Amino acid sequence: WKKEEFRNCNQTPFCKQSRSRKPGSCSFIASEPVIENGELVAKLIAKPLQNQEEEPEKLEPLILRISVYHGGILRFKIDESPDSPVTKKRFEVPDVLMKDLDEKKLWLQRISSPENGKGSVLYLSPGYEAVLQFDPFEIYIRKGNDPNAIISFNSNGLFNFEQLQNKREGDDWEERFRSHTDSRPFGPQSISFDISFHKANNVYGIPEHATSLALAPTKGPGIESEPYRLFNLDVFEYISESPFGLYGSIPVMISHNSERTTGFFWLNAAEMQIDVLGHGWNAIDGIAPQHEAIDTHWMAEAGVLDAFFFLGPTPKDVIGQYTKVTGTSAMPQYFATAYHQCRWNYRDEEDVAEVDAKFDEHDIPYDVLWLDIEHTDGKRYFTWDKLLFPNPTEMQNKLMAKGRHMVTIVDPHIKRDDGFALHKEAAKLGYYVKDYSGKDYDGWCWPGSSSYLDMLNPEIRSWWAEKFSLENYVGSTRSLYIWNDMNEPSVFNGPEVTMPRDAIHFGGAEHREVHNAYGYYFHMATAEGLLKRGGGNDRPFVLSRAFFPGSQRVGAIWTGDNSADWDHLRVTIPMVLTLGLTGISFSGADVGGFFGNPEPELLVRWYQLGAYYPFFRGHAHHDTRRREPWLFGEKNTALIREAIHIRYALLPYYYTLFREASVSGVPVMRPLWIEFPADEATFNNDEAFMVGNSLLVQGIYTEGARSTIVYLPRGQTWYDMRSGDAYSGGKNYTLEVSMESIPSFQKGGTVIPRKDRFRRSSTQTMDDPFSLVIALNSSMEAEGELYMDDGKSYDYEQGAYIHRHFVFSKGILTSSSMRSTKTSKKTLSSNSVIERVIVLGLSSSAKSALIEPAKHTTEVEPGPLTLRKGSSAVGVTIRKPNVRIDEDWAIKLV
Amino acid sequence: ADLSKESLGIHPEELKYYKSIKIKCKDGSKSFSKERLNDEFCDCPDGTDEPGTSACPESRFYCQNAGHVPVTLFSSRVNDGICDCCDGSDEYDGKVKCPNTCWEAGKAAREKLMKKIATYQDGVVVRKKDIEQAKLMIAKEEAELLKLRDEEKLLKDLVEKLKERKEQIEKAEEQERIAKEKEEEKLREAQKKANEKASEKGADEKEANEQEKKFEETPPTDFDDFVDGSSGSSDKHVVEEKSDSNNEAEEGGHSAGRNASPDITIEQEKDKTDNTIDKIDHKNEENTENIEGLSREELGRRVASRWTGENVGQQDKEATDNKEEEHEDFANTQDSGDNYEDEYPSDADEDTRKYDEDEIDDRNKYEDEDEEEGPYNHDIPYNSDTEDNTDISDFPTLSSSSWLDKIKETFQSVLKAIKLSNDPVDKSEASRVRKEYDDYSKKLSKIQSRISTLSEKLKQDFGPEKEFFSFYNQCFESKQNKYVYKVCPYKQASQVEGHSTTQLGRWDKFEESYKQMHFSNGDHCWNGPDRSLKVKLRCGLKNELADVNEPSRCEYVAVLSTPSVCLEERLQDLRNKLEAMNAARAQSHDEL
Repeated sequence: WKKEEFRNCNQTPFCKQSRSRKPGSCSFIASEPVIENGELVAKLIAKPLQNQEEEPEKLEPLILRISVYHGGILRFKIDESPDSPVTKKRFEVPDVLMKDLDEKKLWLQRISSPENGKGSVLYLSPGYEAVLQFDPFEIYIRKGNDPNAIISFNSNGLFNFEQLQNKREGDDWEERFRSHTDSRPFGPQSISFDISFHKANNVYGIPEHATSLALAPTKGPGIESEPYRLFNLDVFEYISESPFGLYGSIPVMISHNSERTTGFFWLNAAEMQIDVLGHGWNAIDGIAPQHEAIDTHWMAEAGVLDAFFFLGPTPKDVIGQYTKVTGTSAMPQYFATAYHQCRWNYRDEEDVAEVDAKFDEHDIPYDVLWLDIEHTDGKRYFTWDKLLFPNPTEMQNKLMAKGRHMVTIVDPHIKRDDGFALHKEAAKLGYYVKDYSGKDYDGWCWPGSSSYLDMLNPEIRSWWAEKFSLENYVGSTRSLYIWNDMNEPSVFNGPEVTMPRDAIHFGGAEHREVHNAYGYYFHMATAEGLLKRGGGNDRPFVLSRAFFPGSQRVGAIWTGDNSADWDHLRVTIPMVLTLGLTGISFSGADVGGFFGNPEPELLVRWYQLGAYYPFFRGHAHHDTRRREPWLFGEKNTALIREAIHIRYALLPYYYTLFREASVSGVPVMRPLWIEFPADEATFNNDEAFMVGNSLLVQGIYTEGARSTIVYLPRGQTWYDMRSGDAYSGGKNYTLEVSMESIPSFQKGGTVIPRKDRFRRSSTQTMDDPFSLVIALNSSMEAEGELYMDDGKSYDYEQGAYIHRHFVFSKGILTSSSMRSTKTSKKTLSSNSVIERVIVLGLSSSAKSALIEPAKHTTEVEPGPLTLRKGSSAVGVTIRKPNVRIDEDWAIKLV
Repeated sequence: ADLSKESLGIHPEELKYYKSIKIKCKDGSKSFSKERLNDEFCDCPDGTDEPGTSACPESRFYCQNAGHVPVTLFSSRVNDGICDCCDGSDEYDGKVKCPNTCWEAGKAAREKLMKKIATYQDGVVVRKKDIEQAKLMIAKEEAELLKLRDEEKLLKDLVEKLKERKEQIEKAEEQERIAKEKEEEKLREAQKKANEKASEKGADEKEANEQEKKFEETPPTDFDDFVDGSSGSSDKHVVEEKSDSNNEAEEGGHSAGRNASPDITIEQEKDKTDNTIDKIDHKNEENTENIEGLSREELGRRVASRWTGENVGQQDKEATDNKEEEHEDFANTQDSGDNYEDEYPSDADEDTRKYDEDEIDDRNKYEDEDEEEGPYNHDIPYNSDTEDNTDISDFPTLSSSSWLDKIKETFQSVLKAIKLSNDPVDKSEASRVRKEYDDYSKKLSKIQSRISTLSEKLKQDFGPEKEFFSFYNQCFESKQNKYVYKVCPYKQASQVEGHSTTQLGRWDKFEESYKQMHFSNGDHCWNGPDRSLKVKLRCGLKNELADVNEPSRCEYVAVLSTPSVCLEERLQDLRNKLEAMNAARAQSHDEL
């Protein structure tokens, strides 16, 4: 990590200045509230100065708009007055908020005054109100008549808004950092404020940082740290446990205590710095004010204040409210949820064929083979190195014959080479981002001198999307999908390895205003291309490194260039969990670690953990030794095979969870406290996690571990996924561990659908039979779901899907449909049957089961949890019920 | 249908096992009734009950492939919609139609196999001959070594005696000289006393000056070496590593570093060193890189190079600099490589290497000298390996003892010829002794060098049957694109591009029961491992190097075809295989 290459807060004028502000220094008060267009509109004017000697600066008032959305969402926006004499308009990030958000707006009818008369009170949702207090200026949410705020804005009076000015003689706004100069033609324009999460135990969110799940304070007594930085950067060999900014940014924070979860979102793509303030940060003479809240300080270089409060009250509610605003995860294709094999680089077609063959030789399934930058002709994307990849179509077709897909990389930097048609066309059309002087910005990346398409412009995105058609992308096939790397954007010779802030985008927006969203627009344009290629009915798969709110609607995210060490293995869990909390469900980390050579033990542990990442891909830097799963001796090969097999067995469960995420926003991989919000012992746990609501997994993060402590949340019985052993919840267990597996448990009261037949890739499993694993709770009951569709198209939107609800109660397992009756233009049928039902925790001596309505009986006997050599009977197995997955039925133990 | 269910996927030899009504899981975990055989439900965790379905992940499916070779598949291939058996038997659920292609595939496979058998047949013969020769040669060289050791002993003795005699003579001469000088001095003293005194003083001073000058001219490196040596090997290691990274720093940043201020180079060096030693040393990085004054392009290249490890220079420049660097690197890694291998970096080691390289020349010289101007002439053929093949019949018939006696005689006569009288010194006698001494010590050192060469060679692992003996002084070359790969077993392997040589590794050992040669500790790769090469050995009629590849950065693989691995057992296996294939073909033909 090159620390000196990146600015710290003190080297960043807006951050340094904002961070040094004192509580109560806010100079604005609110006035003249009116209802306009169903919203509350008020003016923010300068507070009359107590010291009359100083002349207050003559500024136009700021405009505050407060609106309420259905389901407990409050939005407040502060921007310059339309009457401002400055012609430059502040940048508002387009294409992030859902198009249908306006339809969810509650039209405010009237404003009432609070008890003291110095403000306005708005209805928010049943039992909740939002309050605008004029002086001191504050916005907060409260429950009923309880005067205490739940979540509030500017309670500490840190709000500041640097208004745009016309440049006057003598104004020197330039900023220098190392060898770079930022011309800053529009001068200072930062915004900062405080948000208080009252009674919170912890705050979470604001990815992407390689830190703990619960955010540690960055400022306060005895704490010396940089603020959490949100600035998308390509960081070489990043370190774990640091608040510096990585590849993506989501300015969303979630607070939690055992009774309530709330959330905050600031839609702004400029550089942001966020302090989590430690208790006593605002102490006067060492005495901290009596105030049970986690205060946070938000600072951005530019943009507008467009912010949201999410009321909760449960964690899932908050995520639902946030994803109502920015959208839920796109439904991935089935293959994309399976295992991906990547390396920088699979050298040539021979190499590809050999790696593919070796997977088969070792009976290890995989679904996607990836090609990194070296497959291109001189890093000109959409081209192939003619020597190494003379027959790309044939190569892809060979993979496809085994149901496997391929992914190639397409980065945003375009080689400035007049012989490169894409460049020539882009230059001619004026599609590149401009530098401050108006010329095409010329930066440096893999191909050397490069320019960057201005993906903020929808017209350019649409032009770009056309490049993915089979005609334009010569050598591509329908089984080829795309990887967007370096889209922060990474510019090797730019300030902080990115684009200068004074570069100019579509509509005159400065790069400083657009920066954190650049990668998102690029990702979006690429996905649009694949969508177009498939005639609108092939779900795109595009992996991106940079991200922003809304990226979840576009595709998958990975955590970038990590390293092959145990700390990096450990930090992947809080990183992926945080992405899930902030809407991005489909994410993962490079298994094995990108840089460096993992010891076999680390690699095995990484596969065992990575098999549970929503996005599961092995990847490696080109300086590392080969590390395909079979290269570490038979024993390790078997362990890795087993880890990958577990993922394949669980694919039906994962796919069902992806469906849930695409509907409700609740992520596939979840912090424990999402599922157990009242269990305080889970709040700081980021070593274990839930997959859906049924599966708890504990990673092993140390070398040579013989035992580990696992906390199993209270109120439940937990079943070891391998041995079937039952544990009661609410306790820490010290468990022996071997290299065979990492601890995983199924929660009592759940049903997990599995496919226990192994194939080369997920494609061949489509008609295979299912197993159901039923873990009973103390009332001898359980329930679960299964969602399936064609795994590929959007036909499910028209009803072509199967969604079953399994309930086990009183010794009877029933399957009923959960299909919505609204959309049934199409249907899906499946020949798959259930070949096996395993019941854990059943005290029954049943010898057979009666199947309704078919009225046939089948055998019941003790059986194992896994079909592996040496496994023994640990549960009750219903043999071959062979009931169809797409029908209603009941199986009764007799 | 029932019949097929009972035999589906089962190896013919196993059919018996499945005959009974109650069948045991092979792992002994339980048993199952016959109806449960291939009933699409996994009862035995080891897969015994489902050889013909995909129900058990651990089971295996046997397809007969009449007309071709039988194959055993993972159960994951059964009814997965992909034709794996050429007879199509793995896809029986009707979802896909797999045509029977065993006939054509079998024909092609048989032809291929027959070719292979032909190669093996000839290869086995060549190998046998090679082994015979190798064994003879080894015996010969071992015998030679023994003799040389005996001769060395005698020679040492002789040289020692000559030395004694020489020293005696010299002592006597010295005494004579002193006596003479004294006399002369007396004479001179009597003649010119004062004048001579002054002039003598001047001469002394001059001599002293000259000596001082000589001392200054002594290369400082000697001095350094001395210091290094005394300060211990670990220190030396550090020093060398540093110089290594120095090179790397130049590689990485020469375009900027050479023209810009010196602290850039230093900083870079530090960076790179950090990277090499501990790539992710997060905590101690406080260094600030001076990038002011770099052009934008240079900066871009510099930052890119972190990920790629490539030279950041201009393209053409890069190529030439790389070469320079590689040369330097070669020299450096040789040294540091020694330090890694041996705790005590000894001169002997380096000497051995020299012998290796100049071996043939040296030996030829020895031989030539021997014949032309040797003071004694007895028939000891110091054959070079290159002549081995033609020379076996010339193996000395002289018995060891008589040969030794002959040498002893010669030595005795030499000694006898030297008078041990002391006084007065016979001039011709003195010069004769000196000459004898010089000649015999030269001879001794030559013999010693030959001994070291031979013993170095003979301690190598030439394989269980000495089948790799002939590899010892051979190098195999393969040209691929712009590179020439040169593999010298027991020595090193390199990649040559124009005038630049990259060391891919030094000889390490045979692996995989002599199916592979391993060269390790080659030139260091930036941000990567030291280069290494694995050479897979395949049966072939000639020694031919091919298919050099770099599947992982700086880890090379190549294939060498050679008769040395054309094993008879393997030939038999292949013949059996062909027989089985032919039998299967005949059978399927009958069926047709």
